[in-house]
Amino acid sequence: MTDNRQILILDGAMGTELQAAGLPVGGIPEVWNIEHPEKVTAIHRRYIEAGSQVVYTNTFGANRLKMAKAGYPLNALIVAAIGNARAAVTESGRTDVKVAMDIGPIGRLIEPLGDMSFDEAYDIFAEEVRAAKGADMIVIETMSDLSESKAAVLAAKENSDLPVFLTMSFEANSRTFTGTAIASMALTFSDMGIDGIGMNCSLGPEELLPMVKELYTATKLPLVVKPNAGLPDPATNTYNVMPEEFGAIIRKMLPYGVCAVGGCCGTSPEYIRELTRVVREWEAERDAYEAAKGSAKEASGQAFYPDDYDELMTLRNTRPTGIASASRAVWFTEPRCIGERINPTGKKRFKEALLAGDMDYILGQAISQVEAGAEILDVNVGLPGIDETAMMVRVIRELQAVVDVPLQIDSNKPEVLEAALRIYCGKPLVNSVNGEEKSLSSILPLVKKYGAAVVGLTLDEDGIGASAEQRFAVAEKIVSRAESMGIRRENLQIDCLTLTASAEQAGVAETLKAVAMVHDKLHLGAVLGVSNVSFGLPNRDVINTAFLTMALQNGLTLPIMNPNSEAMMGALRAYRVLMNIDKNSLAYMDAYRDWKPAQTVVVAAGATGGADATKGGAAGAGIGAPAGDTVAADIAAKLGEGAASLYTAVVRGLAAQGTELTKSLLGSMDSMDIVNGVLIPALDTVGAGFESGRLFLPQLILSASVVQGAFAEIKSYMTQTGSATVSKGTIVLATVKGDIHDIGKNIVKVLLENYGFTVVDLGRDVEIEAVVNAARETGTPLVGLSALMTTTLPSMRDTIAALREAGLPCKVVVGGAVLTPEYAAEIGADYYGRDAKATVDIAKEVFGV
Amino acid sequence: MVELKPIRMDEAARYLGYGDTTPDETILALMKECEAPLMEACHPAYSVGIFDMECCSEDEVKLAECALTLTGKDIVKHLVGCTKVALMAATLGPGVDMLMRRLQLTSMPKAVLTDAMAGAAIEQICDDIQAELQGKMPLYRQTWRFSPGYGDLPLAMQDELLAAVEANKRIGLATTDSHMLTPLKSVTAIIGLQDMTKELRKVATEDGDAISAPVGACAAGACAGCAYHDSCISRQDKGTQETDK
Repeated sequence: MTDNRQILILDGAMGTELQAAGLPVGGIPEVWNIEHPEKVTAIHRRYIEAGSQVVYTNTFGANRLKMAKAGYPLNALIVAAIGNARAAVTESGRTDVKVAMDIGPIGRLIEPLGDMSFDEAYDIFAEEVRAAKGADMIVIETMSDLSESKAAVLAAKENSDLPVFLTMSFEANSRTFTGTAIASMALTFSDMGIDGIGMNCSLGPEELLPMVKELYTATKLPLVVKPNAGLPDPATNTYNVMPEEFGAIIRKMLPYGVCAVGGCCGTSPEYIRELTRVVREWEAERDAYEAAKGSAKEASGQAFYPDDYDELMTLRNTRPTGIASASRAVWFTEPRCIGERINPTGKKRFKEALLAGDMDYILGQAISQVEAGAEILDVNVGLPGIDETAMMVRVIRELQAVVDVPLQIDSNKPEVLEAALRIYCGKPLVNSVNGEEKSLSSILPLVKKYGAAVVGLTLDEDGIGASAEQRFAVAEKIVSRAESMGIRRENLQIDCLTLTASAEQAGVAETLKAVAMVHDKLHLGAVLGVSNVSFGLPNRDVINTAFLTMALQNGLTLPIMNPNSEAMMGALRAYRVLMNIDKNSLAYMDAYRDWKPAQTVVVAAGATGGADATKGGAAGAGIGAPAGDTVAADIAAKLGEGAASLYTAVVRGLAAQGTELTKSLLGSMDSMDIVNGVLIPALDTVGAGFESGRLFLPQLILSASVVQGAFAEIKSYMTQTGSATVSKGTIVLATVKGDIHDIGKNIVKVLLENYGFTVVDLGRDVEIEAVVNAARETGTPLVGLSALMTTTLPSMRDTIAALREAGLPCKVVVGGAVLTPEYAAEIGADYYGRDAKATVDIAKEVFGV
Repeated sequence: MVELKPIRMDEAARYLGYGDTTPDETILALMKECEAPLMEACHPAYSVGIFDMECCSEDEVKLAECALTLTGKDIVKHLVGCTKVALMAATLGPGVDMLMRRLQLTSMPKAVLTDAMAGAAIEQICDDIQAELQGKMPLYRQTWRFSPGYGDLPLAMQDELLAAVEANKRIGLATTDSHMLTPLKSVTAIIGLQDMTKELRKVATEDGDAISAPVGACAAGACAGCAYHDSCISRQDKGTQETDK
């Protein structure tokens, strides 16, 4: 929108100017658009007189939530704001000044940081955009949350044709308050069709200078910068950088792709006047310098651009793209491990979890892959019998709340991909498009619209080509089609398709050859599902690792693999060292800092199974029963020393031993005997200690977590042996609507599961209707409700009332910091759960177990 | 600048219900293990605004050049004898929320301990902010921290308090639909500032006027109105105590 020879001068602060004109602190500035239009117009006019070519309307907080108490309709406030800005432009007689509709953050955080949904945020922004008739452009500014920024950008792009600038606010650590990294912002929005990107507010120009340089290398978009007048004094709220200094530092930013500059908090028309002078002076010098290029003057060594300019410009122009979550950018500059485990294909336990909506299991898989070194996670939730769109959206949301690696959205259904692309926070990798017309025409437009990267599978209507050349031809077709749609080619990553060595042995070499062709001729990154190669062969890790190494050498950049395979991760790490990618082997040494040569493992006696197990394994030996604990002696007499050791491990909170002992007992003892004969008595012992005040909450939880680990072993054993797990009954748990503190409820959940109950966990901030529906669907005799704050107690009361009204026969137990037995009775609860232990006792009573 | 110092484990233990008991070695070791990830996840930020008290009725305090009006008898009682009010918003940042979500999936014991430690950390940040304020305004005595939702001061006031210190813009603090703070480990507070020079004069002339009563008395009085009065662990273990520890 600018010819980029002339830098656009934006305006300065509105808020502080309004306060100087009499607006009280914390007052609603937008009200002045209607009540004091002349004062607002005067501020705009002073900025225009100082040199501003773009004035931001006084609509920073003009959204339906913040304007709820304004006393005027939202639309009227926005229309008046644009009118005031337009009036100032007209009065000035200038024709080069644009009116920008200013959109600030909503003031609520989107899930999982807060309680607002992405769709609600989108609606709020869309309403603002639609009201902005008569504006020349849209500026989304002072954003902290990447999700919210994305909602705003989508709302702007889908509801208007105006140019859009986006600026976020970064702190001294180069991140926004919500943790968004500069590179993440750059990657997320570089291909979403906005016209300028940058930073405003929070810091002064000096602090922003290095961040401007970083952003310059991370995007090819023009940069927009609007710093504060330095840093505010927290007590006096005055800023410490004067106009002259402000201009001087801004000048240093100008070489780095800056297309628009202005000021934020603390700046005034004086700052903009000085800024205008400096910018125009710099432009004149730049033009003179460039005109003299190659002449004697240039040869005299009087460099116009700063020392680091060439280096940063080269990085900007040569860096491949990447993908990002809000807090982590992964550039496609070197081989990156994509974790393959979030995928039901061939995984019984994962399928079970998907069907049961067991998010904890799925999230656990994600965390373990990230801890093992995965830099990207593939997410595939396609399974007959589930709503793939809804599940994909849910899994992505929950994953992004607990892991910071970017995701690869794996589905071939456009509707699933679109729903996921919309709510994904950051820039994802889409897996995948292929050479079929149907796929090209439905998937690529989504990639384009949401600015994603995409995996191109080298197959088409004719299937998978046998030769490398055939697959390469499909790759070329996908690339040219994508480019014709305006997708930058670097956003394509080509999958040359791994064939199974056991079935198509000769094909493996063709895949490797195709990878090399993609690398050498198309200069694009290559993806492979590595583990497929070994299907049907024994000791798969050996084949996988060798294939991975060979493929890397041929140009593979994005192996989709099992990061929990030590051998494969080792090969990848070693490759990075040997190819001089991992400089000074730092990452390698970090990964193996605790490594020790393998030693002969002393096999626990119990681990061999059989009768030995009942005598107690090495893992449990030496734990010893707590002094005076007769239960331990009883268990030892009845079930053997191994069982007694497990009991003791639970009582003492020894997680590793607990898991090992359970494993070894499972071969020889009935799993229900382990639960009822060992685990529950152990929990009862700890529970009694807690009730008497001898033990404290952390100790209770520690024991509970040992039992949790033991249950995981039992469950996995039963899945393997095909036996059904026995549940003592189903309980529905929820933290009530309006309340977002859920650790208390989660503690109760763990303990209930410990005692063999199945818990349907509805989460936090749960709609009343959702509780009623879950109670009805499960037919549960017991619903547990939790609330932390006094203010959400009415919501608890309403939920109980709704359960009663629905005629459901369930009992209700309530708990939470502010509850009392009296209040529990008053709001119609059947039971008051003083703590997690008491709640378990109540459940036992209700279920009669 | 206020920076995060090593977390006071005794405070964290108190939140966990230990009272004066020291947790056993296993728990202490686990707490130690939780400390580094928590410190890494914390990005404390705060915003403070100082306002003159404009007028004060029986159940309303108005602040000069500020759109926020504090309502309720309890806040009036809290601000007795004050001429200025400091509004404060502080947060450990959203990194702690993510850490907590993650820990609840991987280790509930660590989640429980980290939660308490984060509670101790945010209180400590608030103490440091008050200490910093004291350094800047040495002639003012500060009351303890009164927050929206205490006594009859509506929780809904949270939103306006955040607006008055521009907490959303400056420190990324927001409220939910039901006026709860997000990120979760955050605090807002209203601190009364008593001009000690005036108070001394008052004591000299009127001798023992209620206005110059020690701040501690005020805190004890307000404890009864606290929403957590009946279930507060500290109270059950120790009886009434000052809340501004």
